[in-house]
Amino acid sequence: MYWVSVVTEAGIFAILALGLDVIWGWAGDFDLAFYGYLALGSYLTFVLTIGKPTPPVEYILGYHLPVVLAIALAMVAVVGLAAVIGAIALRNLREIYFAVTTLGAVSALYLLVENYTPLFDGYNGVYGLINPGQTALNLTYNGYRIFFLGVVLVLLLAAYLIVQRLSRSPFGRMLRSVREDERAAAAYGRQVFSAKYRAYLFGAALAGLTGGLFAIFISAFNPSAWTPQELLVIYAAILVGGRGNPRGVILGVFVVYIGFIELTRYLPSPASRPDFGPAMRQILIGLMIILMLRFRPEGLFRERPGLDRSPIVNGAPIPASQRPAAPPGLRSDEGATREGGASEGGMGRWAGGRRRAGKTERAGKRE
Amino acid sequence: MTTFLVTIGIGLSTAAILSLSAVAFTLEYAVSRIANFAHGEFLTIGAYAAYSGQAIFHQNVAAAAVIATAAGAAAGLALNFGLIEQFRGRTAITVFIATLGVAIIVENVLTIIYGAANVTYGFSQGKLHHVGPFLWTTSDIEVIISALAVAGLIYLLLQRTRFGKAVRAISQDRALAQVSGIPARRIIMATWALAGAVAGFAGFVLADTIGTFGPTLGFSFLLLTITATVAGGIGRPYATFGGALIVGLVIQIAGTYTSSAYELVFAFLLLVLLMLFRPNGVFVRPSAVTVRA
Repeated sequence: MYWVSVVTEAGIFAILALGLDVIWGWAGDFDLAFYGYLALGSYLTFVLTIGKPTPPVEYILGYHLPVVLAIALAMVAVVGLAAVIGAIALRNLREIYFAVTTLGAVSALYLLVENYTPLFDGYNGVYGLINPGQTALNLTYNGYRIFFLGVVLVLLLAAYLIVQRLSRSPFGRMLRSVREDERAAAAYGRQVFSAKYRAYLFGAALAGLTGGLFAIFISAFNPSAWTPQELLVIYAAILVGGRGNPRGVILGVFVVYIGFIELTRYLPSPASRPDFGPAMRQILIGLMIILMLRFRPEGLFRERPGLDRSPIVNGAPIPASQRPAAPPGLRSDEGATREGGASEGGMGRWAGGRRRAGKTERAGKRE
Repeated sequence: MTTFLVTIGIGLSTAAILSLSAVAFTLEYAVSRIANFAHGEFLTIGAYAAYSGQAIFHQNVAAAAVIATAAGAAAGLALNFGLIEQFRGRTAITVFIATLGVAIIVENVLTIIYGAANVTYGFSQGKLHHVGPFLWTTSDIEVIISALAVAGLIYLLLQRTRFGKAVRAISQDRALAQVSGIPARRIIMATWALAGAVAGFAGFVLADTIGTFGPTLGFSFLLLTITATVAGGIGRPYATFGGALIVGLVIQIAGTYTSSAYELVFAFLLLVLLMLFRPNGVFVRPSAVTVRA
């Protein structure tokens, strides 16, 4: 049963990582508010299913909805919140400015939730969603847990297939061209803000779904469950697996959550130093992020260019140095190209959409 | 009215600490063109160094301040040498994420050494003084005076010394400064040491003012620091003091008239509003950032 719960958790976070990878890996926006979307999804799933609060516990809503409907509503609300934050942060702000703004927004929400008890009972949080539908399905406790693992894996597969398909679609390639060079992408006729905004909302929807699943998984949620450190683990997993590559991202989550966190469980944690184990784990996560960024920024699995395999001669891509130079204005700057595999081809790789005129253009309208 | 003036007084003392931290943050940005997310850790390191030092130096405030400053300077040097220079040529956001990793590492190393529980200094806050309309403790006054002194020193250093001239040149164009014969690497090293020193001192002052602190001291102060820096204009050391003043007063006034639990909520909303309405005017674009003469 222990392993069922470990794999379930990794599966849930893999869905979350797929969503975050659309925002960060494809669109290139380093979003620090992302874990807040999971939190809101989780909170709302609770308050929509566990019924009226009994004083002194207090929280909003308090309905008895079926859990599937609750998660769907939670996703809608999460997308709504992301629509507000995204509209503020994505309009003019990029990179560090974007990251800091999203961090500011989520920190304000965090403090609000923690201190304003009528919302989600402040620091105590909400709890009480235990195996929804267990009696209806006529399952034992353990049977339900295995069933839930199956649900998570099916949803993960569905999310993977959607993301994988999106990744190769004109939308996915447009996002990447925007990431590589916004001005060039805009010159090719892309709507930069709208592309990034849609990616942001899509990622947030997956985070909302994850929040709902997480609510069922841990059956309690309070502010200590969504500290900023949690998000870093997801970023570390994406970095390890391969930013921009859905398969790599899922693998990265399983490597980081199962291989890494489970192995570090066996670190010595002497009674006199109860913080040693968790602290050591955080240190290793931090080290992993730095070392990956420094020595293998593309991760274990490189981002694949999808359908757009433009300059290929004799089955091998032409090295960047031998390709015809893009006009100066269209070149990504030195920094971006040094990002490694993901950016190696610069504009040449992703901006190919319009060049392969007809088909892509029609496909583009379908979105 | 009295409440309001007392609030302003506390706001000024908050602003003084904030300005120390923010000016260090902006100096780091000016020479290396990166937002250092591990900046808060300089403060934490300074605070803990002073904590370790107070036992040795028998509650001597000045000695503790010196130790905090030295520890901060060492941390600044180490971060620049070990990380920032290693990531030279990479995008700003990559370095930003790497410094985030450093922040996590430092915070947890400190947790292992000192434990996650809060610790407390044994320094007294001194008596209450009526200064004009304000009500300050002795340590509040010391904080405000030391912030003004640091501001003056940084001004003189940047405007009146060869070092300051070199810093200003590098902040405009590192490559050009280099070919003009400025030893950019060394100057940047020295700037990080200076920024770390100021931040370490700020950490000690902050911890002493709050009274009790833990390994997350600096990290939770970081966003406030960034807000102050943004309010002033990132990369502009003198404007930063104005930014710190705005943020210090806003959070104190808003906190007093609602609840002190919401102080930071207002600070972060202010940050978002600044980004929304003054993203260019206040947040100077990287290509246009200069250290104003």
